[in-house]
Amino acid sequence: MRLIIRDDAANVGEYIGNYIAKRINKFKPTAEKPFVLGLPTGSSPIPTYKHLIKLVKAGQLSFKHVVTFNMDEYVQLPQDHPESYHTFMFREFFSQVDIPPSQVNILNGNAKDLIGECNAYEAKIKAIGGIELFLGGIGEDGHIAFNEPGSSLASRTRIKTLAYDTILANARFFNNDIAAVPRMALTVGVATVLDSREVVVVVSGQRKALALSKAIEEGVNHLWTLSALQLHPWALIVVDEDATAELKVKTVKYFKSIERVQDEVEAMHAKLKDDPAEPEQIGSME
Amino acid sequence: MESLNGLVCFTNCLLPSEDGSLVEQDLWIDERRGVILDAQRTFFLRQERPATIIDLGGNILSPGFMDIQINGAYGFDFSVFEGDHEAYRNGLKHVAEKIVETGVTSLVPTIITQEKTLYPTLLNLLRPYTSSNSANMLGWHAEGPFIQMAKRGAHAPQFLLRADEGFESLEKVYGADNLAVQEDWLMACDGQPDSLGVRIVTAAPEIAGVRPAMEEAVKRGVVFSIGHSIASTDIATAAAISGARLITHLFNAMPQLHHRDPSIIGLLGASPHLSSPQSPTSPVSATFPLSSGSLSRAASSTSLAKRALAAHGEGGGKATSEAFDELITPPQTPVLAPIDADFHLKKGQVAELAFERPFYGLIVDGIHSHPNSVRLAYSAYPEGCILITDAMKILDPNLKDGVHEWRDGKRFVKEGDKLYLEGTDTLAGSVVTLDKCVRNFSRFTGCSLGEAIKCATYNPAKCLGIENRKGTLRPGADADLIVLSRKGYVQSTWVKGRKVWTRSV
Repeated sequence: MRLIIRDDAANVGEYIGNYIAKRINKFKPTAEKPFVLGLPTGSSPIPTYKHLIKLVKAGQLSFKHVVTFNMDEYVQLPQDHPESYHTFMFREFFSQVDIPPSQVNILNGNAKDLIGECNAYEAKIKAIGGIELFLGGIGEDGHIAFNEPGSSLASRTRIKTLAYDTILANARFFNNDIAAVPRMALTVGVATVLDSREVVVVVSGQRKALALSKAIEEGVNHLWTLSALQLHPWALIVVDEDATAELKVKTVKYFKSIERVQDEVEAMHAKLKDDPAEPEQIGSME
Repeated sequence: MESLNGLVCFTNCLLPSEDGSLVEQDLWIDERRGVILDAQRTFFLRQERPATIIDLGGNILSPGFMDIQINGAYGFDFSVFEGDHEAYRNGLKHVAEKIVETGVTSLVPTIITQEKTLYPTLLNLLRPYTSSNSANMLGWHAEGPFIQMAKRGAHAPQFLLRADEGFESLEKVYGADNLAVQEDWLMACDGQPDSLGVRIVTAAPEIAGVRPAMEEAVKRGVVFSIGHSIASTDIATAAAISGARLITHLFNAMPQLHHRDPSIIGLLGASPHLSSPQSPTSPVSATFPLSSGSLSRAASSTSLAKRALAAHGEGGGKATSEAFDELITPPQTPVLAPIDADFHLKKGQVAELAFERPFYGLIVDGIHSHPNSVRLAYSAYPEGCILITDAMKILDPNLKDGVHEWRDGKRFVKEGDKLYLEGTDTLAGSVVTLDKCVRNFSRFTGCSLGEAIKCATYNPAKCLGIENRKGTLRPGADADLIVLSRKGYVQSTWVKGRKVWTRSV
């Protein structure tokens, strides 16, 4: 696992934006072999989306051959409700980049058969060959997607009841009316995220500091579901200074030292990928 | 050049929203159907995104302007019919094609008082009309003949009428077909299920028979506008209660604002106290008596009328601006008994009126109303403000100053945006364009450009009840759009999704 620390949220967004652009461009996606990208919602990834949009407008990146899968969506919230994740993704990202609508996948929280919807989503991810890179964010309680504390670390896409913490945190988007916050969501599972070939997580702000510490400085624990990332062979967490508030100085120093050789590791990884004779050994730094 | 899938995205632009703010956002339209799209639904449900993207370079993309009071333009006078239907239709077409350069994509041609036998034909010719490359003619605005002699302005005194038989008088003049119930009228116009049309009548509510007549007309979908009137506060309020939805060119052709009897202008400040059904003295009766004796109840009005008439003289004499009329002090406002009810305790909230205040048209050429008056009206009731040009046939942004022919051998003198009858100092309508009114308005009131735009788009559309189709950027509304620079100048005009005009460089 690598941890990249940047001064503020905007710099975090720029770093991840450039990183994803580099990955997509190196992949050289085509209609037959699209780049499959997992995407989150929430305030943390907004600077990343902004930077990706900038790169697309500057002609340095295209989503023509990118297929996306979103992490989650509320249950029984109308698709065009201002707080639905459909609305969020359209407003913050899809409307401003060149992705064809048919390549966008978001769980349908209004499906009649919610379980069927979840199973079909998993099947669709599998059919396209899995997710190349999953971009994620975390909640204050360390959840990744809507995998609230206590979720099974082997979970797949399913219906999930929102934790009371999450409902409280989201009430600000529903006129501070706790009763108006949806109680349920459809979400990819922890295992769905771990199945993707690479995971990139954005963490910004002091309020996420404890969750970050729990996820990387303690053991794998289903009460901080992001900690499952420790089992992933190719994970990158990008955080701002504020989010490091609860980390040990030693931890921060360690990860900062890693960053210096990062380019080297990426070059090595690229070489390994180019040479199919080599086994797919992917870039953990430990 | 058509978009491959017929969808167009305007980007890098500011969109005026219905609350007067400007929002940086894209707008998607369907150029084949000529409508504005719900972009998110188009993306997720129709699974399409626009093949054509138009970068507006930070300009404003506004709904096209709507002029609900315009007498003519580009040499054509809506009020002049010389017996040739074809020539008249060509004249309308000419105006509709040319006026898009001023940002106007919808207009309501206005005819001033005519010899009464002309109305059925004229109003029939003014049925809603749209073509692919011009502004929409939305219907008609009949200013007169049921108006006040003392406030007739440039209207011919010999053609003014009373409505003694109520609605029948209206039918006799305008033609029963033209006053049919809205649905029937629209069916007769073109029979399209989604057709759109408006009818406005400017009348003076103090004229015998006008109020009951208009009450019936309003039921049929006609917009009643108070104008060319000396209605007292009581009469004006009663007219508003019985459905008057608009005031014609506020400040002009009506009594000046007198603090003891603020008359028509006072409607902008209508007090909840006087309109409340709980008001003990209930000063305004919803069924205002109509016999000539009724006017004695509004004694101040009658005397005002007499004095005004005397001041103007009958017919001859040099007409003077009504602003200099001698004012008569009306009697003191009646003292009302105290109401014994709790006050509400919410700061910023205003107790509700028992009726909706009418919208009001303002000619913002800097001449017909002083900038201070414009700001005063707007401050009193911003949601009701509608910018109008009241333009005469010589409206044409490319026309030079000087003497121009009008009608009946009379001539105009055009001096910038001022327009006089030759040899007098009587204002004879305006020559200001609506885009200039918007710029003026923003400067006069100090409001934002977005708020000024609202007064020429959303507000008139709301007044006419057509805001789902015109004057807004709502999904499903017609893609009648204008691109404005941040200085408020029209850069290009689109009607039904097609570009019909571009500023030449």
